[in-house]
Amino acid sequence: MLYYLSMFFQYISQYMKTRFQYRANLFVEFFSDLMSQAVNFIFILIVFGHTSLLHGWNRDEIIFIYGFFLVPFAVFSSFFNIWDFNERYIVKGELDRILTRPIHSLFQIVLERMELESLLGGLTGLVVMFYSGSRLGLEIKWYDPILFLVFVIGGALVYGGVFVLIACISFWADARTDIMPMMYNISNYGRYPVDIYNSVIRFVLTWILPFAFVGVYPAAYFLGKKEWSSYVFLTPFMGILFFTISIFVWNQGVKRYRGAGN
Amino acid sequence: MNAIEVKDLRKEFKAYSSRTGLKGAFRDLLTRNYKIVPAVNDISFSVKQGEMVGYIGENGAGKSTTIKMLTGILTPTSGKIVVNGMNPHKEREKFVRTIGVVFGQRSQLWWDIAVQESFRLLKKVYKVSDAHYNDHMDHVIKTLDIEPLLDKPVRKLSLGQRMRCELAAALIHNPPLLFLDEPTIGLDVLVKLKIREFLKEINEKYNTTILLTTHDLSDIEALCERVIMLDEGKIIYDGALKSLKDQWGDRKELQFQFLENVNIEGLNQLTAEMSVKWEMDEKEQLFTAVIEDIDELISQVISKVVAAYKIKDVKINETSTEEIIRNIYEKGLV
Repeated sequence: MLYYLSMFFQYISQYMKTRFQYRANLFVEFFSDLMSQAVNFIFILIVFGHTSLLHGWNRDEIIFIYGFFLVPFAVFSSFFNIWDFNERYIVKGELDRILTRPIHSLFQIVLERMELESLLGGLTGLVVMFYSGSRLGLEIKWYDPILFLVFVIGGALVYGGVFVLIACISFWADARTDIMPMMYNISNYGRYPVDIYNSVIRFVLTWILPFAFVGVYPAAYFLGKKEWSSYVFLTPFMGILFFTISIFVWNQGVKRYRGAGN
Repeated sequence: MNAIEVKDLRKEFKAYSSRTGLKGAFRDLLTRNYKIVPAVNDISFSVKQGEMVGYIGENGAGKSTTIKMLTGILTPTSGKIVVNGMNPHKEREKFVRTIGVVFGQRSQLWWDIAVQESFRLLKKVYKVSDAHYNDHMDHVIKTLDIEPLLDKPVRKLSLGQRMRCELAAALIHNPPLLFLDEPTIGLDVLVKLKIREFLKEINEKYNTTILLTTHDLSDIEALCERVIMLDEGKIIYDGALKSLKDQWGDRKELQFQFLENVNIEGLNQLTAEMSVKWEMDEKEQLFTAVIEDIDELISQVISKVVAAYKIKDVKINETSTEEIIRNIYEKGLV
């Protein structure tokens, strides 16, 4: 465990070094990221400016949920940059290299592919939350930051678990799958209050592809919606559950890895 | 204890075949035809600690598949593998600490960072202490002559430079067993020689076991006393390279170049009573006689030819390992 933690920091420091090598690139990227986040923020305000009340949720509450969603999503996209897993690791056979090193294969891929710039998106999320939170007059209690952290990690794990499971399909199917973009679209539904959907979609978003745990459920806690509280505290457990399942499936999948021909 | 012990090892792949035409494509959607193809077909062998073994075979003979099973990348369909006293795919993370791997066609190093940064990271990955690292790697870096490359990013290195760095990277934890999958592919002669010398040296110094696959048989001649030859997933020869040569290299080639016009019928007539096979290279007017390796016979053929025609050049060649192996694959052993 300690070894894995130290490896994590080793890779991060290596990552930083790589980024600093291209100094100009770093600044340009940082600047453009910041710009796009600002545009994002304005975009959110404009889009939601037209909705006033949606199934008992007002405009600021919806913005708040969206803002919350951005934080676990940012954590997820910085560490689970596995969109091209099939292409890069299975088809090109990069997994060969991974498997000859004494670290768990999924952990290595997470370390290799991380994109820490994506964490900036979380910053936008926080700004959005503070903006709408202050308009709603929400109070911050002393334990709220702790719960916030727990929910963010839980949400990121839900996301990570689902996408690792999808990446695992590559171990069984030998053709490339284009399921990732579709999943991305589905995941967007978690950004909105789930009670606006019909019960089937709600069920799916809660128990099958539990993206509701990334956005609306934990955010409901901070908005003081008592009727959701049983779901709220399921968030970390769903995260751990889904992620554990995904690691288990991953380990099974690696055994079926066929390698790429030379 | 043996470094590698393999018994009845087998790996099967499903090979899908698609039907022809649109109708066939629709049928493929429902049920796909597949054959089970054994890439490695019940092979058994063992390698002692400190041995250098050449693992050869044509493309698709199952070399890479075997190496990948031995390194824990692939899970065998059936059979038993014990490498360094462990089951490679079951105890993968513990096991890979005891081996070094170089895949000639795949980089182990990080593309964007300087070579020494890659080394530093690998040093942490393999938990190598500073003292060990300095002691061991100073020597490796010096022998492979990669000192001036250390601060360059991998993507700026030439193939030969990169390969030397790959080799050094595979040895950071000083593993007792080294797998090399075509380590000299595409390299120039000087780099090849350097790599060979280096491999010999670490084999002597640390008693490192080396399993090597290559298409370049001169690598194997220079390094390995023992070869394992593979064909269609089966071992067709396992033994000393020397006895393979003794058994098969029992012929010599006499190459003639003439000052006058000569045709092959004339030569055939000339040596009719001896068992000589003449071949002709049209372009360069080279005539080659393939005969058994008997001193008496060789001089007889030469004297006959020299007496009949004016010659420009004569060469006597032993059959090369390459030719021996080609012969084995074409005609089969025994």
